[in-house]
Amino acid sequence: MRAASLRFRLTLWYAAVFTAVVAGLAALLVLNLRQYLENSLWDTQVRRAHQIAETLVANVGATGEAYLGKQVDALYAPEKSDRFIRITRQDGHVAYCSGAPADQSFAPAAVPAAPLTPRLEFSREQAVTGQASLLIAAVRAGTPTGESYLIEVGISAAPVDALFRHVLWLLGLCLPVVVAFAAAGGYVLVGRALDPVDRIAAKAEQISQHNLDERLPIAQTGDELERLSLALNHMIGRLDDAFQNSKRFVADASHELRTPLTILRGELEELAQDRHLGPAPRERLGSLLEEVERLTKIVERLFALSRLDAGEAQAERVRFDLAEMATATAAQLALLAEDRRIALSWEAPAPVWVEGDRARLKQVVVNLLDNAIKYTPELGSVRLRVDAAEDRAVLEVDDTGIGIAAEALPHVFDRFYRADKARSRSPDGAGLGLAIVKSICSAHHGEVDAFSVVGKGSRFRVRLPLAAADPR
Amino acid sequence: MRILIVEDERKVAELVARGLRAERYAVDVAETGDAGWAMISTYDYDLLILDLMLPGIDGLELVRRTRRRNAGIPILVLTARDATQSKVENFEAGADDYLTKPFAFAELQVRVKALLRRGPVARNSTVRVADLELDRLTQQVRRGGRRIALTAKEYALLEYLAIQPGRVYSRSMIVEHVWDQGFEGLTNIVDVYVRHLREKLDAPFPVKLIHTVRGVGYFLAEEAPP
Repeated sequence: MRAASLRFRLTLWYAAVFTAVVAGLAALLVLNLRQYLENSLWDTQVRRAHQIAETLVANVGATGEAYLGKQVDALYAPEKSDRFIRITRQDGHVAYCSGAPADQSFAPAAVPAAPLTPRLEFSREQAVTGQASLLIAAVRAGTPTGESYLIEVGISAAPVDALFRHVLWLLGLCLPVVVAFAAAGGYVLVGRALDPVDRIAAKAEQISQHNLDERLPIAQTGDELERLSLALNHMIGRLDDAFQNSKRFVADASHELRTPLTILRGELEELAQDRHLGPAPRERLGSLLEEVERLTKIVERLFALSRLDAGEAQAERVRFDLAEMATATAAQLALLAEDRRIALSWEAPAPVWVEGDRARLKQVVVNLLDNAIKYTPELGSVRLRVDAAEDRAVLEVDDTGIGIAAEALPHVFDRFYRADKARSRSPDGAGLGLAIVKSICSAHHGEVDAFSVVGKGSRFRVRLPLAAADPR
Repeated sequence: MRILIVEDERKVAELVARGLRAERYAVDVAETGDAGWAMISTYDYDLLILDLMLPGIDGLELVRRTRRRNAGIPILVLTARDATQSKVENFEAGADDYLTKPFAFAELQVRVKALLRRGPVARNSTVRVADLELDRLTQQVRRGGRRIALTAKEYALLEYLAIQPGRVYSRSMIVEHVWDQGFEGLTNIVDVYVRHLREKLDAPFPVKLIHTVRGVGYFLAEEAPP
């Protein structure tokens, strides 16, 4: 799982948002729950205090404070129900105070006296020794005899706190599990949603200038993905058209140039053979004819390239020994190398069978060797090696030439590209030789690479599929 | 010998006609397929040279019709297409040979001559140019009675030039003939071989036999350029 993948990031976002929402919800729930529980506890205490005020305190004048205490004990049994009840007269005299509760959660005697303010009713949270605080509701009640009592009814907050802690603990335990499940589900869902994108991307990667007639799979989902794949297909279609147009243009242009070149060449040749011509005009005519020859060569090569583009690379398909063909070709070029005092050597330990257009593949060898010889200074060396490696036929041409700069290396197979601009006046080069090599190689399902160290030399390596073993 | 040229590019037609007339052929020119067909139907020609892309009846159709009418007449096709496909089409339609534009006139001359002499050409086993002597059977070369040792390629090059002394051969003609298709465009190899050949053949002798016509090519003859 790559950290940068869309799937991973979407899942991460999804999990984060989900966690935030669930955590928010839980917080809201917990706080509300606590509020609600406390409120209802208050209400109960207040109700009880009113009850005591109405039923008992109202009659205290008649019954006496001692009877009041007994009645409260009898009716409410505060010790058993862990309740705190205290009745205080307005002059501060405590008429009744409940005993210690059964669970000993607080000491009633330690509860500080309530403020003797004239408010009728109030409540407070009173911390007492022990763990829990007391929730105390206080109600002021008057008697017909003119006395006034403060009735305090309290209950320990411990059960609410315990419940609250339990809920928190439960949520803390469940949340990660829920988030983990949601994230896993999200990951699977995002994966399914992105699956068509993967397929489109995989196919799009395979499409190059050689198979522009192919199209991406259409995600028939009726959504954005379908629109995306349709839009991409339309774009490939337009690219295809543009490519076809440019190919057709090259083919047409090289075709249209042929007739004027024929006329130029013919007329100039006729002039050049005129006996009465002086040496100076003859020189000029010669120079013109050389340019015509150069133009012709460019036109021929452009035409050859457009034919290769059109997929006519394998006019014939024969099985032959690449090693034998390449070494024989090198031998034929030996004089060319010798002429420039370059040591040309070749090596092919075993026959290497390939299948394809022999003449075209020979052109590959000729172009590579010619190039190597051309760009290697005198007394240098050029080496050809043909061998089989795994399932490929490998042909390498090494030279000790001027080399190619690293930034130029990726472009050496481009049409009309020249690594060394100073050399662009070379009469032979139309800057198409290596482009033709590349086209022929790709047409044979092979590839050609260039490696170079400036000042040390270059290596061109052609790799072609091996033919099946010799049937004979 | 009467030759018909069917070519809609007037300049190309004139150029070819002029060159062939200089070689003492009688030459007619038709500029459309229909005109060409009318002339073929009217006169007897010894050779037909035609372009493939013609207004009216197109070149291939003209070849087919001509073949139906006269199976024996040699046909040379001039074409601006050189796709292998059309090469096959040409021969299937009945053309005897074809030349891709732009061509060297020298090459046209060679082809025309070859087509007009169709059938077994009398091949002398010995070729002589001035004091140069080539034995085509043993591939031995002597000049002034002295034996000159040549490599196979040097011999092939010399023989090609010597068969028609005085005729200028372009470098691409020489590459195609002496080497093969794979060497297409590698004309500098011709210069190297010619230089080696000169060292062996001309350097030791006062009279030079191999001559250069700059921009055109090479020829073998006793005298200076034509």
